[in-house]
Parts: sequence; structure tokens; C-alpha cells
Amino acid sequence: MKEYSIIGKDVPRTDAEAKARGSALYTDDIRLPGMLHGRILRSPIAHGIIRSIDTSKASRLPGVKCVITSDDTPKIKYGNWRLFPETQDEYPLAVDKVRFIGDEVAAVAAIDRDTAEEALELIEVEYEELPGTFDVESSRAEGAPVIHDYCPSNVSVNRKIKYGDIEKGFSESDYIREDTFSFQAISHAYLEPCASLAQVDLDGRITLWTSTQTPYIVQCLLASTLGMRENDIRIIKPYVGGGFGGKMELRPWEFCAALMAKKTGRPVKFTLGREEEFLAGRRRHPMKIHSRVGFKKDGTLVAKDLRIQLDGGAYNAMGPTATFLCGNFGAMLYRYPNYRFLGEHVYTNKPPASAMRGFGAPQSLYASEVQMNIAAEELGIDPVDIRLKNAQVSGDQIPDVATISSCGFSESIRAVAEMSGWYEKRKSLKPGQGIGIGCYSFISGGVFNWFNTQYPFSAAEVRVFSDGTAHLLTMASDIGQGSDTVLKQILAEELGLRMEDIRMTSADTAMTPQGDLGTWGSRVTLMAGNAVIDAARKIKEQLFGAISARFNLNVIHHVECKNGRVQATARPDYGMSFGEAVAMVQKANRGEPLFARGSYTPRGKGLVTPAFGFGAQIAEVEVDRETGLVKVKNMWTAHDCGTVINPRSVEGQLAGSIQMGLGYALSEQMVMDGGRTVNVDFADYKMPTAMDMPPSEVVHVDTYEPEGPMGAKETGEGLASPTAPAISEAVYHATGFRCKDLPITPEKILKAI
Amino acid sequence: MRLPRFEYYAPETLEAALSLLEDRGEGAFVMAGGTDMMVKMSHGRLKPKTIISLKSIPGMDMISFDPANGMMIGATTRLADILTDLRIETHYPALIQAVQTMANVEVRNMATLAGNICNAAPSADSAPPLMVMNAEVSLASVRGERRLPLSDFFRGPGLTLMQAGEIMTSIHLPAPQVGRGASYMRISARCGVDIAAVGVGVEVRVQSGVFSEARIVLGAVAPVPLRASGSEASLIGKPLNDETLELVSDMAAHESKPISDVRASADYRKRMVAVLTRRAITQAYERSTARHS
Repeated sequence: MKEYSIIGKDVPRTDAEAKARGSALYTDDIRLPGMLHGRILRSPIAHGIIRSIDTSKASRLPGVKCVITSDDTPKIKYGNWRLFPETQDEYPLAVDKVRFIGDEVAAVAAIDRDTAEEALELIEVEYEELPGTFDVESSRAEGAPVIHDYCPSNVSVNRKIKYGDIEKGFSESDYIREDTFSFQAISHAYLEPCASLAQVDLDGRITLWTSTQTPYIVQCLLASTLGMRENDIRIIKPYVGGGFGGKMELRPWEFCAALMAKKTGRPVKFTLGREEEFLAGRRRHPMKIHSRVGFKKDGTLVAKDLRIQLDGGAYNAMGPTATFLCGNFGAMLYRYPNYRFLGEHVYTNKPPASAMRGFGAPQSLYASEVQMNIAAEELGIDPVDIRLKNAQVSGDQIPDVATISSCGFSESIRAVAEMSGWYEKRKSLKPGQGIGIGCYSFISGGVFNWFNTQYPFSAAEVRVFSDGTAHLLTMASDIGQGSDTVLKQILAEELGLRMEDIRMTSADTAMTPQGDLGTWGSRVTLMAGNAVIDAARKIKEQLFGAISARFNLNVIHHVECKNGRVQATARPDYGMSFGEAVAMVQKANRGEPLFARGSYTPRGKGLVTPAFGFGAQIAEVEVDRETGLVKVKNMWTAHDCGTVINPRSVEGQLAGSIQMGLGYALSEQMVMDGGRTVNVDFADYKMPTAMDMPPSEVVHVDTYEPEGPMGAKETGEGLASPTAPAISEAVYHATGFRCKDLPITPEKILKAI
Repeated sequence: MRLPRFEYYAPETLEAALSLLEDRGEGAFVMAGGTDMMVKMSHGRLKPKTIISLKSIPGMDMISFDPANGMMIGATTRLADILTDLRIETHYPALIQAVQTMANVEVRNMATLAGNICNAAPSADSAPPLMVMNAEVSLASVRGERRLPLSDFFRGPGLTLMQAGEIMTSIHLPAPQVGRGASYMRISARCGVDIAAVGVGVEVRVQSGVFSEARIVLGAVAPVPLRASGSEASLIGKPLNDETLELVSDMAAHESKPISDVRASADYRKRMVAVLTRRAITQAYERSTARHS
């Protein structure tokens, strides 16, 4: 591996101290003079026609400055899939109809939050209730209530994938396994609830501070729904306390804050409450997965036929992407020579599901991995061995998708088996104890341009100064995952500077270079990282030219930026400080500042992703056979994220993934009563706490991804998938109970054993 | 939601607190740690006109113990102080079992035992162990003071025998006795920090190898912490063995009246009453014999 000075080191996070001290400003911390507080009136019914809305009493309440309904808006639909306008099915405030409990109906801005809250109770809405549908079966049934007029079938998106000869594949199989799985909705449960603050300047331009993963998407969609020009809207992302996929769309309160700021001339802020987040917030898709797989006697995979129905809730949100990706993840990890996929995204009268850490992979891979374990047992092969037999390797081609350029999957499986003592423990554990494996593969950002951006996927601008410092500008959004730190590290490495030499401006659409699609799909390190390198190399070209001229270097000399100097590699004395080199370039250009733009857009990389991460995880559990409670005693992980840019950050991603995976496997679910989410607080939404975290060990498998910055690829989301299947297999090993409908609750275990 | 407008007092004597409470009448509420009240107020479920904090009354946060008279825990004693009290750990370990599962570190640094009792949630962790250990509570008013057994105290979710004008000043536990042992076991979906789905408190007295006295209280399976008197009776005169445990735990499950809710189904709760009763009796028995030696 190449020797780096900053890459691969435990560089402290640039945001760590501010967050630890409480001085980091989140959107809700920002207060502007004259600021109003907004609240949203939400539908109390799951499906119905709005007959009338009377806001007069609310408007008369002292302290209320603005009340709006859809009649005050341009009534323009929006949605993230701009490339396919028919999928854009949402209005900022309900027009004529409500489709889920929590659907946004009206908004109030008042001098304080309590007054706004009281005003909500004074808005009179007359509904004509319609029958609702709350699961995919009833939505697809004959005569089911139609949720959107444009879509009488309630199936808003479907995706088919097919390669090889599926029938022939099954006819050549010695063993065929068919199972149905179902999955619950879970909450992102980011610790910072959604918040937005809008201000209008004297020219009518809007600045919106908002807790978002995607400033550029918010900018574009806010402009289109308000009927404004994109450049008249500036989105600033302050510190964000987590997103996990739940903050990557335009949200009604962003729209309402902007519109009400325009109407009142005063800043307007919305901050959602936790109950609102649970009641109406985005969530991970509930799904039904039907999977049929065929194997040879020796464990070789021959065919897979996968059908998935996503319960999308009332709007598409990011459901179309999840539908697409489920099909891709269904064919990942192992070589499936014959594969068929049918994915359907179905409307129901429930709060919309959307992107959530893993984006279809946690469900799809749970089914794959559990079936792999079942097959291993029935074919009499160890679960580790059957995986090694079928594992994808570097150079494998996935038809119509991509070529896997780097793949440390087999190495990961072997490493995790060794560090956990797998083969020994599988045989020797006592009753009630179990050990299980789960694996994952994930994308490093998406290629398919559903947002139809006109800009590069990621961009960076680097300005350098004669005092030896640099300024990095990028729209990439650090939402707590650490991208500001990682991008700074990449630039510091390229320019031979220290972290503290670099000023950073990120995620401000009026100040940072267009464009960036945001933080999702584990895209930031690879895409924004490549953009930073592209810009840095343009700077270096200029600096190297100056050195070459100054020292009259033979053209064959290699020049480098290192330790704050620019110098000929073979003759470090032919060189000068970084700042002096910048000054020379500036002189040569008659005072022009030295800066460069870089960008990255994946090209010739198929339609899915430029690079795949891989990994394997083993869980050891102990099950109390009387209470059904599962205690996870240990987690071992080995994974391939290419070059590790910041080990501590990667370990943080792992810890967060295990925490979410634990909850998904064992305790988290949004309990629904028809269209109503019942458990709307952390007392009854059972997210694991720090006290529930098991000990964990990790090995980073050393690979180099040619498409990644310094060889790096994803690590943020893939790790969210293996925990649930690993725990599930461990529970099976301990009790004989195989869970096909998450979560694995004590009650299900007791019923089964 | 907007907090209601209320007067706030922090009197420095019990007498002052009592006369304020008497004077303000309906709408006046007494607050210790405030961890239940503030949540109810911010959700609009409680709208006090007056709040009287007990926290400025000197000495009310005391824990006192003497081997002859037992333990007294003041009304403003924080749960965190109970957890770190070695005398409680030694003599009343069942109470520690309950308190260490209540809420989290931050809340335990504010919340009080008296508050947990006065809040009268059916799932209150402290109630079963206190009841089985024959705890009593002192209630004061301008008319005087009275002492009630905790087992008579609860009347329904949020309802108690406390009357208007009364303030709970302390909680009393009888002196530890040779041959007695108590235990509290609880279960919930999340292991670290969670509300109990089922809790079982047991105290037994063992003489000549058989149970001569028993108290069993079931939490979160009825509108109030429930005395399982049938189960108690069936334990008397029997030795500790599998047969006894099965008989008594089945009876306890039978006596419980759980509901199904988002935390657990009624069936599961009944089954867990049996499991926890068995475990708690076993542990109480072990503690009773340990005290012999």
C-alpha cells in the first residue's frame, strides 16, 4: 500500500470538539430578529376528501401572523424523480385530498411556538372520509380504493431484471428453496428532528437553513414548487444531527417556511417534534419478499427468482430508487448465472416510506442471507463454506449493471470466520447459545440520474494562498458521517498540507460549486473525494510548473507537494514552501488568484454504481429460553471499503450500523393500527441504547478501488445490512427458530420453541 | 405544547408547604424531582395552577437506617442516592434491583422514589419490591400525619389513597429480619433502558426449610401493582423445589390481569409473570438463607 501522511490516520473529526462542547449550531439553534415559529396541521384521517378549510379563527388569534393552505400555494407537484415527472406525486400542502394520517394540510406562523400550536386547534377542516388501504395485498386487490387518480392500480413503479435462463436454471438445480419474508417499517430516529428556517432578503430572494442531506435537491424543488428561479434560492446546511436517508427530499415545512417568510417579510422557523417525526415521518419500507433459489448438490448457486413488493405508503418519495436497488442487491454477493426480479412499489394509506440506510439492501439481503443459511443446512455445507463457494470476486460482471472492479468479499468471510472462532463455536456452543453469519455488498453512490441534474454529480473548488493555506469549497453535505473531515484529509494529502491549513466551506448552494447530489447511497467519499482530487491536481500542475521554471528542471523530473513544500522528488532542495510556490504562480499570472475547480461524474460505469463495498459479520447470541430475550454477546466484522481514509470514522460507521442493525433485528418497529402509527415516542419505539451495544471487533480488508479517491469506496450503509441476518442465524443456531418476519421478538421465539 | 401558567413555590419548611397546599386547594400540585410532572405538563395532560416544590425543605432528602427500626427514605431523596447507599444495598437489595432499572442516569439524578409511588403507574418499578417488603408511607397535612401500608395505597392508574392537602414525606421499610429475603425481577423489550412490560416482587420468610410467609406483587399486569394472594397462600408450608415453583408461578400467572398493548401481548405477560415469579422466589429464598449465616 502507498505511504500516505494523512490518509489512513486517525485524524480527529473536525466537528468533534464543537459537538462535544455543545457549541455546534444546528438549524433550531439559529435565531433571527423578528423570527416567527411555524407549525403544521396534519390530517387526522388516513384517506379523505377535503371539503373545506376555515382558517379565520386561527388567523384572528393574537400573535398569529400567517396561516396558509394549498390555496395560498402555486399547487405544483414535486418529487425526487424529476427524470420521470409522472412519479412526482406530492404537493407541499394537501390539495383536495389527504392520503395518510399526518399528511400536511395547513401551516401557521406565529410569534411563538405555543401560539402557533394553539392556532392549529382553531383551524376547521371538513373531511369526507374515504376507505383506506393499509397493506400491499389490499392495495392491489380488485376494487381497492384508488389513492392517486393517475395510478388506478396503486402500483406506482415496477422494475424487471432478467438474465440467463431462469427456467433452465431451476430445471438444472438439485435443490430448490422457496420462502416468503416480510419486513416491518422502522424509523430513522435521527437525534436531530427536522428543522428549517427561511429568510427573505429585500430583493425577494430566499435563504433557507435546513437540516438536510441534499441542499441542491432542496434548492431545485423549492424553486419549482414556489415558481421561482433556482438561483434566487440559497440553501445552507448547518450542522445536522443525522439523516440516514430521511432528510433527502424537499419537505413541506421547508416550502412553508419559505412561502410564509415571503408573505410576512419575517424569518420563519419550523422544528418538528419527536411525536410528529414518529407519527408522520419517513421510514424504512415494509416489504414482502418472495424468493426462490436453486442450487447444485455441491452448493453452487444456479438460479434465483425474486419478487418484492414495497409498501410505499401514500407517496413515492424515494420508493422508486428502493424498488430498483432491491433488484440489484438481490443479485449481489454471490454469482447468480440465471436471475429474474420483479419489484413493485405499492401505494397504501400510510406515512410514506423512503430511503433509509441501505436503501432496499437490509430487506433484500436479509432474505438472501437467511436462504443461504437454510440451503447450507439442508445441503450439509457450513454456512461459511457455501458463501466462499459462490462469492463474487474482482472482475465479475453483473449483467446490465457493472463490472466489480475491486472485491474483498472472500477475504472478509475468511477473516471474520477466523477472528470469531467460527468453526469451533458452531460445534461447541451450549444450548441457548448461537453464532450466525450475515454478509453484505453495497454501492458507492448511484449512477442512475433520476434527479436529472444538469451539473456534475460532485464538484469542488480549491483556492490556495501565498500564506500556505487553502480553502476547499464543496456542496457535499456532512450530516454527521464525517465527510468534511475526510474531504479535508484528501485535499491535505494531495497538497502536502496539514488539516489546520485548510479552511472549508461546504453545503451552501450560493457559495459552493454546482453541483452535488447530496449525502445518500454512500456516495460522498468516492464522488466528492474524486472532485477534490481533480481540483487539487489542477492546482498542482500550476505549482509544479512554477518549480520547474524556477529551478530550470529537466522536464523528466517528478515534482511533489509534501510537508508544506513543493519540490522535485529527486532533489528536495529544488523546491520552496507551498506558499512561496503559490506566490510565484500568482506573480506569473499578474496577480490573478490561484484556484481550480474539479468535478466527478461516473461515466461508463453502468447504471448502478462505480464501485461496490463488501463485508461479512458474525454475531454470537444467548437466548433466554424462558423469556425469549436475545442477548447479543459479540459482533465480529471484516469488511472491504477499499482504502481506509479515516479508521476512527469507519469504526464509528460500524458502531452506528450495529446499533441500527440490532434494533432492526430485535426490537424496532413502527406499530401500526390501520393507518395510525401507535408508538410515537422513544418509550415505546424500542431503539437500542448505548447500554445494549455488544462488544465488537473489526478487520479492514486491504483492497484498492481503482475508481475511488486514493482507492476508497463505501462504508456508510453496507454495514447496516449484515447485522440482522447474522443475529437471525445465531438465534436459529441457539433455538431452532428461523425468523422470516422481522423483528425477532421474544414472543415469536417463545411461540416457536 | 404551551406550559400552563402556574405559580411556583419552594417553601423551606414542611409546615409552609402544607399550608400553601391547603390554601391553594384544587389545582395545586406538589413536585419533587418533576420527571413525571414536567412531561405531563408539556404534553398538556396536567395543568397545575400552583406548583409547590419540596426540594428546598432541609432534611427531606435524608436516608436513615437503624437495625432496630429499619429504613426511612425522605420524599426528595433522588433515585441516584438510593443506588449508591450501601445500607440499602446490604439490607434491601430488592429495592436496588428495581431502582437500577428505572429510567437512565440523567433521570435518576432528578427523580425520586416518592414521586414514582405518587405517580402510581401500574408499571412503576419501585412499587412491587416496596410492597412485598411491607413498606409504609408517611402522609402529612395541616391536620396531622398518618402512616399507611403501601399495599393499601394504590387505587388505579394514577390514583392513590392520598387526599387533597396531603404531602408524602417519607417511605419506611421495616428492619431487616433473619430468615427473610426479597427479590424484584422485571422484563422489557430493550435491555438497557426501558419501561417494564412485567415486574414481579417477592418476599419470603423461610423457617425449617419451608416457606412460612410470602408476599408476591405483580407489576404492569393490572391497573395497580397487584398482590397475588392466592399464590402467596399456596407457597406457605412448602419447600423450595420445582413442584412448588411451578404451582406458585402458574397461580401467579392465573392471578394476573394483563392487557395487550404495544409493549407486550397479554399472553406473553402472563407467561412472563410465571417465569419471573419462579425466578424471584428462588432468589428471595437464596437471600433469606444467606441472611441466616
